[in-house]
Amino acid sequence: MKILVPLKRVPDPQTNIQVRPDGSGIVTDNVKFVINPFCEIAVEEALRLKEKQAESEVIVLSIGGKECQEQLRTALAMGADRAILVLAEVPVDPATAAAVIHKIIEQEQPMLVLAGKQSIDDDAGQTGQLVASMLDWPQATCASKIDISADGGEITVMREVDGGLESLAFALPGLVTTDLRLNEPRYASLPGIMKARKKEMREVPLAELGLGATEKVKMVAITAPTKRQAGKKVESVAELVSLLHTEAKII
Amino acid sequence: MIEWSEQHQAIRDAFRKFIQAEIVPHRDELEHGDMPPYVILRKMFATFGIGEMQVERFRRQVEREKSGAAVTQERGARGVSVEAAMDDAAAQLIPTIELCRVCPGMVTAMGVSVQLTGGAIRGRGTIEQKERWVPPLLTMEKVGAWAITEPGSGSDAFGSMQASARRDGDGYVLNGNKTFITNGPYADTIVFICKLDEGNAPRERKVLSFVLDKGMPGLTQSKPLRKMGLHSSPTGELFLEDVRVGRDRLIGEVEDAQARSGAKATFHTERTGVVAMALGIVEECLEVSTKYARERVQFGRAIGEFQLIQAKLAEMEVARMNLQNIIFSTIERSGLGRPASLAEASAGKLYAARAAMHVTLEAVQLFGGNGYMAEFRVEQLCRDAKVLQIYAGTDEIQISQIARSLLGHK
Repeated sequence: MKILVPLKRVPDPQTNIQVRPDGSGIVTDNVKFVINPFCEIAVEEALRLKEKQAESEVIVLSIGGKECQEQLRTALAMGADRAILVLAEVPVDPATAAAVIHKIIEQEQPMLVLAGKQSIDDDAGQTGQLVASMLDWPQATCASKIDISADGGEITVMREVDGGLESLAFALPGLVTTDLRLNEPRYASLPGIMKARKKEMREVPLAELGLGATEKVKMVAITAPTKRQAGKKVESVAELVSLLHTEAKII
Repeated sequence: MIEWSEQHQAIRDAFRKFIQAEIVPHRDELEHGDMPPYVILRKMFATFGIGEMQVERFRRQVEREKSGAAVTQERGARGVSVEAAMDDAAAQLIPTIELCRVCPGMVTAMGVSVQLTGGAIRGRGTIEQKERWVPPLLTMEKVGAWAITEPGSGSDAFGSMQASARRDGDGYVLNGNKTFITNGPYADTIVFICKLDEGNAPRERKVLSFVLDKGMPGLTQSKPLRKMGLHSSPTGELFLEDVRVGRDRLIGEVEDAQARSGAKATFHTERTGVVAMALGIVEECLEVSTKYARERVQFGRAIGEFQLIQAKLAEMEVARMNLQNIIFSTIERSGLGRPASLAEASAGKLYAARAAMHVTLEAVQLFGGNGYMAEFRVEQLCRDAKVLQIYAGTDEIQISQIARSLLGHK
């Protein structure tokens, strides 16, 4: 079974993010970038499915500058078979990302697309669903467990919903987005890292797919959250009530 | 080599991630000796496929030896490229550097088990001995100890060695006390170095190495000793009282196996390892000190604005660059199959140990009162760094080795 995993390069969630003074984005100097954690879970799940299903191939895909090679290489070191990097000079919005993934799916004809449910930088949470709708494919979002029938024809997806677990099944091909509790991604092993360098990484310019950055959504500005003010000690309940009324204006 | 390659950085990132997730949360237990380091080390070996890779390489080595191929330089025999050999060397040094940023003791426990104990048997043992003891040491499934130091013999390891072997029928009877033995309290496999007592003068006696297993009659392993630092590496004493062994436990199975030069080859490995350890310690000190200098405000300014603090940071950076360059040259030498001479390895070790001590003391000073507190971790690195000037040959021994080489003494 051929599995395609689109993955996004994002700032490490552990880093201290600073907003550029002009609000055009975040400061990227000295920021470490990683595979988006939900995408990493998708890579891990694809590798686990591959280990269960003979003759499987895991293809990872990213969209962005040359620097995305680093994250694709990490996925290859984890065990993915080959990588595709669609070169885009500017960041793409979810609609463009979905259009790119759509094109690559047409080229590669995977049976299953596993995508992160959202990226931790923009938190749009749209790409997977857009891809499925473009292809008119069945989809299941926020998977917490995935099972594939022995013949590889049907997929069962468990989702954590309000009040319990929901189980969905559909015939492949289809698309699934991954949630946090689906699995715990592996570390790339030393032999894995060494083999990754020799694996195929195909670069495709965005224009070659007949696509440009469409930008249906425009990012206007990014602002940092307001800094938390220092607290205040009060002497009496009466003073507290008075301040809640006059200063905090909540009663 | 002038910088880490993309692949080296990938290895480094993978280990950093593992260390953050698996070691940092247990740092206090490891530091207080409540948790021996072996479970985490085994997990690390399994996670990164280190054991598997080492065992595979070991099997190929044994196959070559069985087929009677001349034991040439490993690289030549494997026919690998210079670049691949360099990547191999880097892949061994990077985990050491990264572990030392957090827990230098774990490197000591790991290095003694795999490199020293495993290496001693692998280098001089018979094929049967290698197959019997080496694979579980390479995966850290078994813990190894390499026992040379005694209460009365440290720097003069061979000269004043008291531990003895007497011939007894087909085998030997071993006696002696060993101390400061890394992994001693928990070791499953012990390489015991002693002198063959044939009634001749002690200085003329042959040096022999034997492999012992935990639980052998007459062998006692002490509890961990208390020490200044390096708490995550358990250190203990070994007591041997009439331990009877067959010839199958004599490494090489011949009395002329030159255990003395075998032990000296081990010193070489140790000294290179210390440079990587020092680099990890210095990198960590520099990183946390720079951050602290930016954030800590005194007299209305970040302390990094003061020249006395700047001087400390600059010195740390100089040490880091020098150590990194020694490591790069070590990696390149591995690739070319031209290892440093013993005197050169000594010079590197001497510099590295002193640099680590100096930098860690300066880091404590830069952090001031916070530096003296355990919470900020630099005091731990400082106590740990001191051992680098003592073990694997004291600074004084390194100096004499360098000088003897310069003066043409043997």
